[in-house]
Amino acid sequence: MSREYETVIIGGGVIGSGIAYHLSESKSDGILVIDKNFPLSGSSGSTQAWVWVHTKTPSWYGEFSMYSSELYGYLHRKIGDIEFIRTGGICPFFSENEREHAKSLAESQAQVGIEIQVLDRDEVLAREPALSDKVLGATYSRIDGNVNPMRLVEQYMKAAKINGVTYEYYNKVTDIEKKQGSFLVTTEKGLFTCKNLVLSAGVWTHEVGKMLGLDIPVHPVRGQVMITEPLAPFMKYTLDGLRQASNGEVLIGYSREEAGFDRSTSLDFIGSTANFALALVPDLAKAKIVRSFSGLRVMPKDEFPILGPIPGIENLYIAAMHSGITLSPLAGTLISELITEGETSIPIERYSITRFA
Amino acid sequence: MDKSTIVCRCEEITVEDIASAVSQGAETFDDVKRLTRCGMGLCQAKTCRIVISELIAEMKAKSAADISVPRLRMPLRPVPIGVLAANTASGSFVRSTLAEAEPDEGQEK
Repeated sequence: MSREYETVIIGGGVIGSGIAYHLSESKSDGILVIDKNFPLSGSSGSTQAWVWVHTKTPSWYGEFSMYSSELYGYLHRKIGDIEFIRTGGICPFFSENEREHAKSLAESQAQVGIEIQVLDRDEVLAREPALSDKVLGATYSRIDGNVNPMRLVEQYMKAAKINGVTYEYYNKVTDIEKKQGSFLVTTEKGLFTCKNLVLSAGVWTHEVGKMLGLDIPVHPVRGQVMITEPLAPFMKYTLDGLRQASNGEVLIGYSREEAGFDRSTSLDFIGSTANFALALVPDLAKAKIVRSFSGLRVMPKDEFPILGPIPGIENLYIAAMHSGITLSPLAGTLISELITEGETSIPIERYSITRFA
Repeated sequence: MDKSTIVCRCEEITVEDIASAVSQGAETFDDVKRLTRCGMGLCQAKTCRIVISELIAEMKAKSAADISVPRLRMPLRPVPIGVLAANTASGSFVRSTLAEAEPDEGQEK
């Protein structure tokens, strides 16, 4: 015997839960989210959680990120406190040739309405006095910020459940069968049938896709982050690679490693990140590192989101992307629109999985 | 312990906070940790691990031995950044989103 739902969402991280919440705003029941562990145990819970726009290129991708970022203020009011702060984002640079690069980025992003100022040394130090006085300048955009990823996913889940969404935790999907007009989803704890199926399993989307005979080009790219003890508030902005959270901890690190599903942290990274931290903010020398963690970025083959219907299999949708924290309000909105109305409010053809064919 | 008893001293997490996470579906120490921050503070669960594991076990009607230990995080005890940096050759793993950005070259839009 299988339990019936209108829509099943595989994966309850920031993207899956974001879709569940947005969909539940217009469809009050019949939505099930299945997670193989408990949400936040994967990529969504191991991130610096910048809501980040201004260095996202090409400009069409920056524009897409900007639309999602703009939804945050509204989301904050709808699902409750997620500790979202639009701090503004600063990318400091330490060589003159980077200034030219910064200027061309500012020009290019201006075409889509992303405002970037290229600050000189005095201007950036006036904004963020904790930065090293060796800094030569920085890009600055007011649009960037950060959020607490734990609160974000928790509030998405709570709001979705209030709207009638059901969650299955610690229940791995083991098989998916396409039937006439429906899907049969086999899990460790039972069978489910649904009309619509959404694949939002993050770094495991490739594995889930195989159950439908699909080769979804997504793989994990590791990032390592280290965290200080809580310090008195001394930094206001989200910096490129470093931010101070509202509880005083400083999160440091931006790295990319091909390490499969290995989520270890490594001493060479910690040393390198410590050097980076001191070069950027020398006062951190005495701050103590309390812990480090690694997370697996959800990396599509060309690094851009895979979002939309999967042609050839009716009522099958995919949402797989890195920067899921930044993009979840928009991804959730767009997939909900597709399921309820069959079309989206902004064009998303560019993000179709068909580009890999 | 009543519901306002603090079980994680670093982050001031109460019995009630743990119960709230468990009622949302959290099963392991790490699940509860991510929702409440218990064990994420300065002591990294060295003080609260056993008492919180026992609480989760009781709420889940399991044995405490069945609640997996929280993931240990380097460097295990707090170490100053200056110390970590001093022992490391230069060169960096750390990237910059600014350096990675590729501004449009006119035709692409």
